[in-house]
Amino acid sequence: MPGLLILLIFLLLGGVTQQFFDLPVPASIIGMLLLLVALIVRGSASDSLKKITSVLSPLLPLFLIPVSVGVVTQKHALQEHGLALLAILAISIIPGALVCALIMSRGKKG
Amino acid sequence: MISTLLHTPLFWAAMTIAAFLGGQQVYRLTGNNAFLPPILTGIVLVVTALEISGVSYDTYMRGGGYLHMMLGPVVVMLAVPLYQYLHTMRKQWLRIALAISLGSGTTVACAVLLTWWWIGDEAIFITMHSKSITTPVAVAINDQVGGISALASVFVIVTGILGALMIPPLLKASRMNDEQTVGLTLGICAHAIGTSRALELGPQQSAYAAMAMTLTATLHALVLPWLIHLY
Repeated sequence: MPGLLILLIFLLLGGVTQQFFDLPVPASIIGMLLLLVALIVRGSASDSLKKITSVLSPLLPLFLIPVSVGVVTQKHALQEHGLALLAILAISIIPGALVCALIMSRGKKG
Repeated sequence: MISTLLHTPLFWAAMTIAAFLGGQQVYRLTGNNAFLPPILTGIVLVVTALEISGVSYDTYMRGGGYLHMMLGPVVVMLAVPLYQYLHTMRKQWLRIALAISLGSGTTVACAVLLTWWWIGDEAIFITMHSKSITTPVAVAINDQVGGISALASVFVIVTGILGALMIPPLLKASRMNDEQTVGLTLGICAHAIGTSRALELGPQQSAYAAMAMTLTATLHALVLPWLIHLY
């Protein structure tokens, strides 16, 4: 089966599951988890899925431009809080990165 | 005649693709400058075109929506690389699980608390929760929980650029810069942009970054909607 159709079917399954159980989790994430389970059960990813992955992955940033352009509707928030937001984003990376690195390297050599 | 063109959906779809290709050129010509990922240049070009032409975002989205529609299948697609990395992480799954949950939890908690103290705007506060996960997932979550998708996307991109710049020197200075640690930290704290930085550092870094990025996104997508419902 062509890879794109597989992705759409799992996206649909995710949407149906979400509606049926009234879950707050996005349909696409549920679809992704269902596909992951299917891959684990099947034991391998089909060639068509690998192919569509290699086609779509480099285009990912392109698909994100339209929603990001929506920032034009948020001028007010950015004018008011832009610098504070930038500072928050920069500062919050440091403790997170240190925690990750500590857990990854602590006791590894011992 | 020009006005007709500016109100044709397909024009803006083509414009977006052209802006992205332009962004890729700029990135390449500047020797993969970390400040200029193609998506950032693409966004700036489209925003500039909208400002000059005076076309509204709603009108733009009638064309941009064609591309936006692909985000759903692309998120589902993330299962494929995740599946391929499952073998890699089997040996140290506990360490990785801890690093991802505590590391990403720390950075999000810091950002959210600072937003609460400094800004206090509820919609921005909610949107800040998704700052550390790859953009398509961040957008999906914000659509779900009432955050501002457009801001979420900007937060994520800025986080990615800052993380890709700050993390390698930070870890070097604190002497925790073996390949796996750097890769995992980039994936957790700087998601897709960090992952592409990791790709430049080496194959080991890149595999760990991609795995960490996807696991972080999955974890947050499952946890954040419930958490935000609690507020």
